[in-house]
Amino acid sequence: MGTLDYIWMGILSVFQGPELFSIFGLSISVTLIMIAIGFLLGIAVGATPGLAGPIAMAISLPILISIFGFSPDALLPVMGFLIGVMKGATIGGAVPAILFNTPGTPDAYLTTLDGYPMTQKGNARRALRVAHFSSVSGDTFSDIVLIVCAPFLAILVEGYLDLPEKAALLILSLAFIAAAVGGAPAKGLISTGLGLLAAYVGTGEDFYPRLSLGSPALSEGLPLAAVILGVLIVGAVAHELTTYWRERGRQDRQDDPEGRDNQGLSLRLIGRIWPYICRSALVGTVIGALPGIGSTLAATIGYTLGRARHEKRKRKGDPSFGEGAPEGVAATEAANSSVSGANLIPVLSLGIPGNAAAVFLILAAESIGGFTPGPSVFKFSTEQVNPELVIAFGLFTCMFIANFLNWTIGGLIMRAMGIMTRVPKQMLLPVVLLLTLTAIYVQETAMVAVWITLAFGVVGYLMRVYGISPLPFVIAFILGGRLEDTARQAFASTGSDPWFLFNNPIAAVFMALSVLTIIVALRLDRRSQRSAKVSS
Amino acid sequence: MKSMIKAAATAVAIAASASAATAADWTPPGPIKLLVAFRSGGGADTHARLIAEELEARHGWKFIPEEVAGKGGLNMAAALKDAPADGTVIGLGVTEFFGYSMAATPKAGMKPADYTPIITTAGFQMGVVATSGRGWTTIDDAFAAAKAGETLSFGVMSPRLADLAYLLGKANGVDFNIVSLRGGKAVFDAINAGDVDMGFVAGLQTRAVAAGDMVNLASAITKPLNQSPDAPLLLERGLEFDAEGEFLFVAPAGLPEEARAAMADAIEAVITDPNTKAGQMIAKAFGGAVAIKGDALAERVQAEFDTSETLLDAASE
Repeated sequence: MGTLDYIWMGILSVFQGPELFSIFGLSISVTLIMIAIGFLLGIAVGATPGLAGPIAMAISLPILISIFGFSPDALLPVMGFLIGVMKGATIGGAVPAILFNTPGTPDAYLTTLDGYPMTQKGNARRALRVAHFSSVSGDTFSDIVLIVCAPFLAILVEGYLDLPEKAALLILSLAFIAAAVGGAPAKGLISTGLGLLAAYVGTGEDFYPRLSLGSPALSEGLPLAAVILGVLIVGAVAHELTTYWRERGRQDRQDDPEGRDNQGLSLRLIGRIWPYICRSALVGTVIGALPGIGSTLAATIGYTLGRARHEKRKRKGDPSFGEGAPEGVAATEAANSSVSGANLIPVLSLGIPGNAAAVFLILAAESIGGFTPGPSVFKFSTEQVNPELVIAFGLFTCMFIANFLNWTIGGLIMRAMGIMTRVPKQMLLPVVLLLTLTAIYVQETAMVAVWITLAFGVVGYLMRVYGISPLPFVIAFILGGRLEDTARQAFASTGSDPWFLFNNPIAAVFMALSVLTIIVALRLDRRSQRSAKVSS
Repeated sequence: MKSMIKAAATAVAIAASASAATAADWTPPGPIKLLVAFRSGGGADTHARLIAEELEARHGWKFIPEEVAGKGGLNMAAALKDAPADGTVIGLGVTEFFGYSMAATPKAGMKPADYTPIITTAGFQMGVVATSGRGWTTIDDAFAAAKAGETLSFGVMSPRLADLAYLLGKANGVDFNIVSLRGGKAVFDAINAGDVDMGFVAGLQTRAVAAGDMVNLASAITKPLNQSPDAPLLLERGLEFDAEGEFLFVAPAGLPEEARAAMADAIEAVITDPNTKAGQMIAKAFGGAVAIKGDALAERVQAEFDTSETLLDAASE
């Protein structure tokens, strides 16, 4: 089994998987259809303000698992669907931003800056085409980087890192996520700490259940899906509803834009925006590869770099950034879309999720079984087939199929999705809540899981009220068990050396970087607070 | 009086025939929740899922596998203990859970009598394994390396095996750094990745040993390993306890006899059939099916519980 054989088997596993139906004797595998359905759903939820890719992934995951079961055959259809949603939502987010000045996803906010002015000038169609082209280009680029880098990085990690270094690397990732997500590092640390606390309920090496307060429901640990969906979805729904309640009546929707233009995407325009796309794709990919930073920062940096270049090079009469420049839309969309592929680099090579979409891909893999994202996936064993590696290449194939759909029909569907912005929030959010609780019950088949979901919904709501990002919580919750295991093992393998994190050079560097990350983030935070005070 | 005896005899006859009939065509009253006490993706989990898959195909029983790993099987045992004893909830564990794990934690209040063992599926080809890159051929080479001053780490997947590794080192004047990992696959991966120098692996090593990537340094069971008959027994290296054990399906105490018999027979038919995926996997990874059921199994589990107390005493010295 050489590398090429693995790649070929991965491709075949997608196309020749369980057959759903056949057209003229050509069998269509269920995975292909699932990618397509996920992709369409993704564009729709991306285009709906108040929904986003992770919500759709969260709700559909338990339902998909109950349909496809827990066999390894279920992995590619389910994960293909989630990848489809992830990709679709990325381009869908630009639709309401451009048409109605209401970003569907947080990182599409910057798209409104130039997209909406273009709409006001009657260039809505062109803005959507620019957004689509840039988004798909950025996404495809970052997928290629993922496929080239993930196996390489995984092999590097497995070759050079022993147990103490692995424990230190996990600590560094958590420190990074705490410092980078959500702006305030102190809040990030609180969020991370709470996530670790939740992860340690009922787990551990001892024979008696830890922190379970004598409750049998807690003694096996908190159910993964209940906690994650509670904090991420139920908390978000509650927060959105209260915000809606407070601001009801205040919002007035902009009129529908008139489709009076018929400008397409000319080669000259592509030539103009191409340099912006390339830079932003690079920025987004680099940022995406670091766990936890996310697409909003990528979009900001992409946009800022694009603006600097545009100011220098624009011809007289061209609109500046913020006045409806197609380059602005291109710079933002390419940056935030190129995060999604690169975000899977730490997931597949280290098992460390970097954003909410990656959290659900890991959740899918853990629930179904047979595929454990991490360094052991990329073992190119020659004597025997490594099934996890075949699945990894199957996932890469899924990504490229989703990209193909994106290039071919994505733009068309995206332009038709303007209608989703008319769905009223007060109807949408209760439906999301109901679907979430149903999905949890379907997966766990116990009422206690629903209560746990609601309890963590309260936690998620309070975190949002106090401006604490729930993402560090979720990532810490997922990594908590691994951190404890690895640290215990490292401690044991070094002969119970209490300084195992510090007396070996690579681990010590990781630990120093962890501390440095937090200190730098705290300083930056203090400086920005001070400047905010001065300016106010 | 006579009529009463007659009536009683008739009742017994009817009951017997009824139970005979139901044992053959007993069907679970609903989908069967299968609590797997192992991490998904490892050999134990895989074989359980393959057996469930084949039972679904043969009998139309529906299985919902659920991972309840951790705490030496006590998580699964605790979840199973109070579950309905009607065949809708069963667990997959190893005999060790009902022996060592329960003996080590009297506070948990679990004992073998709380469960109905259904049938075993396979024994362990438990070996002490290292990568061939180390250049060792038997466990004696590892002892020699340790005595020459090298610090060796030893991967184990349960507290009982940790005790065995400790006693093995003690008997041979060597101090291993014993690393607890989650499941046999984790030990296997850790040996491969160089995170530990050697470890107990119970069957997963078969292919890697055949390919020459790994070596069975010793057999931890009472007989030589099928694959490496020349590897010495740990029992010959001063260890007084063996790592014998079997995977087994269990139900809560009070499972009706016809349900127990029906499940045991159905599972036995699957694991001993070389044409099933489960049968093939068991033959390859665990050296063939071991189907102990009925009273013999109940005695086997109780005996494991009793010997574990001796092991615990020895290891705590």
